Amino acid sequence: MTTTDYRHEPSVVEGRPSLRELDEIIAKPLESKPDKKYFLALAVTLSMLGIGVIGLAFSFYYGTGLWGNNNPVGWGFPIVNFVFWVGIGHAGTLISAILFLFRQKWRNGIARFAEGMTIFAVMTAMIFPAIHVGRPWLAGYLFPYPNQHSLWVNFTSPLLWDVFAVSTYFTVSFIFWYVGLIPDFATLRDKTFSKIKKVIYSVFSLGWRGSNRHWQHYEMVYLILAGFATPLVLSVHTIVSFDFAVSILPGWHTTIFPPYFVAGAVFSGFAMVQNVLIFIRKIFNYEHIITLDTLEKMNKIILLTGSIVGYAYAMEFFTAWYSGVQPEQFTFVNRAFGPYAWAYWIMASCNVFFPQFFWIKKIRRSIPFMFVLAVLVNVGMWFERFVITVTSLSRDYLPSSWAYYTPTLTDFAILIGSFGFFFTWVLLFTKSLPVVSIAEIKAVAEGSQPSHKDH
Amino acid sequence: MSSNTNTVEYVKKDLPASVNKIGIALLIAGLLIIVFSYFVDNTRSAFNNLILLMFLTSIGLGSLFLVAIEYLGGAVWSTPFRRVSEFLAAVLIVVPIIAIPVYLNLHSIFHWTHTDVVAADPILSGKSAYLNETFFAVRVVVFFALWLLFYFLITKNSKKQDETKDQNLTTRNIKLSAVFMPIFALTITFASIDWIMSLNPHWFSTIFGVYYFTGSLLAALAAGTFIIVMLNEKGYLIKGLKKDHYYSLGALLFAFTNFWAYIAFSQFMLIWYANLPEETVFFMDRLHGSWVYVSIGLIFIRFIIPYAGLLSQPSKMNAKNLKFFSLWILFAHFYDLYWLIMPSYSKEGFVLGWMELGFPLLAVGIIILVFSIKSKKENLIPIGDPKLQRGLDFRL
Repeated sequence: MTTTDYRHEPSVVEGRPSLRELDEIIAKPLESKPDKKYFLALAVTLSMLGIGVIGLAFSFYYGTGLWGNNNPVGWGFPIVNFVFWVGIGHAGTLISAILFLFRQKWRNGIARFAEGMTIFAVMTAMIFPAIHVGRPWLAGYLFPYPNQHSLWVNFTSPLLWDVFAVSTYFTVSFIFWYVGLIPDFATLRDKTFSKIKKVIYSVFSLGWRGSNRHWQHYEMVYLILAGFATPLVLSVHTIVSFDFAVSILPGWHTTIFPPYFVAGAVFSGFAMVQNVLIFIRKIFNYEHIITLDTLEKMNKIILLTGSIVGYAYAMEFFTAWYSGVQPEQFTFVNRAFGPYAWAYWIMASCNVFFPQFFWIKKIRRSIPFMFVLAVLVNVGMWFERFVITVTSLSRDYLPSSWAYYTPTLTDFAILIGSFGFFFTWVLLFTKSLPVVSIAEIKAVAEGSQPSHKDH
Repeated sequence: MSSNTNTVEYVKKDLPASVNKIGIALLIAGLLIIVFSYFVDNTRSAFNNLILLMFLTSIGLGSLFLVAIEYLGGAVWSTPFRRVSEFLAAVLIVVPIIAIPVYLNLHSIFHWTHTDVVAADPILSGKSAYLNETFFAVRVVVFFALWLLFYFLITKNSKKQDETKDQNLTTRNIKLSAVFMPIFALTITFASIDWIMSLNPHWFSTIFGVYYFTGSLLAALAAGTFIIVMLNEKGYLIKGLKKDHYYSLGALLFAFTNFWAYIAFSQFMLIWYANLPEETVFFMDRLHGSWVYVSIGLIFIRFIIPYAGLLSQPSKMNAKNLKFFSLWILFAHFYDLYWLIMPSYSKEGFVLGWMELGFPLLAVGIIILVFSIKSKKENLIPIGDPKLQRGLDFRL
């Protein structure tokens, strides 16, 4: 047994870099011209986005008949993708708000990127309800504002609650992200030699001078925003789960849905953050800032949330049997052994079985293993939404209306496009804003903490 | 790097003898009332006994969870007073004794134990593979065995560390806690299904285990917080605990009060909205007759009042306020259990009389006695824990 020393807090940042060195290394990607590899990556994501645009263009021209949605399965890929992408965003708010309130210092290295990812993921997610309504140019009527057509929204519909939940979530996440960026904008403003950049950074830094008073206000605002954002982490995916759970469809209507969806969202979000950060820390030489210890902690959270998801699957199955309600029992047997059994077992193995490898410390600390496992988690979580949405709808109460749902090429094109959209934003983000919070990472660098010994 | 980090001075002081006396007095008073009430109304007492069982399980198991989560999360702020939770977890040793009268009265509490009723009811006979007396008894034994096993394993290492100061014991406890987590999740879920949900064997809710877990965690936190603040004020704990520690305890109480509301709302909202008779029966029972007042009271007692009382930052640091609200939350948990269990006994309206008095008295008596016995034998501070100094240095 190797002895760990618990008497001292391990530093988040390794190798004792000076504060100036931290400034330099985090600002470096913004000050240097992008290289060939960057453009290559951008070309890939833009091509994926292009595929999606083509899929969408055809959908608008010919109509949504190009999609696989059929009569019992009215919610096909669009809702699956919507829930998937909203879920991806959740890790950002969890890291930036909840881990902040829990005073987890290791979050400081990854919070900025995760917050940025939240915003891009929610943007990607919002595409899907917009196109799923069929006439996205009329989507403005989803907001309850008095109009000449006497159109009014249905306040008892969870789909409307979604509109409020997701837009609130987006707004608060965006403000939170921007407030966190203000001190960094000031650092960049003071560093840059380019006149145009200086003007831009000056505007966005809101006259930040780093005075004591500025910091006091900043810390207070940040804490309050973290407080606001925390219930939002729970509320957004709770409302998304209500989309399903308030109905009386077996497999959708179950009381554990709200916390189970939230755990699933954090699960997939963490997997996505971990995936992208593995590249970023390598390419930008941030290995001492986003350390292996940090990645290991993320993997532990993936293991935890994955197990919560597994617990929810088990409870659903047990309660379906225990309830004695025939349609419930049928639905769950149908999920696991019916026509969509392949999707169910992909989901169960990727979400519950494979993450259990993270019990082993060596695997938690091995970059290739953790990367593959996190990719599998995201595959599994996408399939989870597919299984929930499609299996329950394709075989509902009325056997005469049962039908098998097959996604079409257009569906896949739009799905690929959503990944393209998301990763294009991620790539642009890495070259235009600091992906690690300069101010926050300095606060957890070794030697930055005042000693309380003399108090 | 100094080799001996635990330079902290700790002189063990025994709790005043009056604590023990109060504990014994409450225990005896409670027992007398209980014995008497069992003679007067056996069924009603058995239901109350079930509340007591669930309450003490919450305190014991919830405290063990708090100890485990500290090891697992690597928390340092709670290390200086982790022993308080360890002592409270010892309540688990008493819990099987509390379960005996419940087990003797199984037929008057649990509808599904009547084989003739089950045979006539297709839904209940469908469940009989799970809800039958033999399997029920096996599960109860397994739950108790697992809880006690992990209680002894974890606290033994912690106690040993007082003398050896061996850091490997911390590592060992982290591993034990990791193994304990899934076991804890499953056992607390099925214990709550067996002992509370199956009171109405037709009703089901997938979130129920989470609901009971949240309440248990709150009860354990509240009991711990009250004792920690009391002991610290009287100087029984180590010097160096500051309002930063108080704040953290208050913040957790506040956070899980909100989490309870979230879970309770999710359960109610989904059942109310879908309006399926097999599910609404649970809430119909609790909105029937005078139960509706108890149900409305639950919202205030369990959520709105502690929410308001612990919302502001100073309120979480104020010792007086913290003591008041930890007692309040303990009461609220008892109230919640009463709301969960008693409607199965008295459908027409709530009952409250002297028979309901003995059980809470006994609960408080047991908690005090277990704590004072443990504190006589062991240090109130984990003096050998490598994280102790870091815990004392903890600042917001």
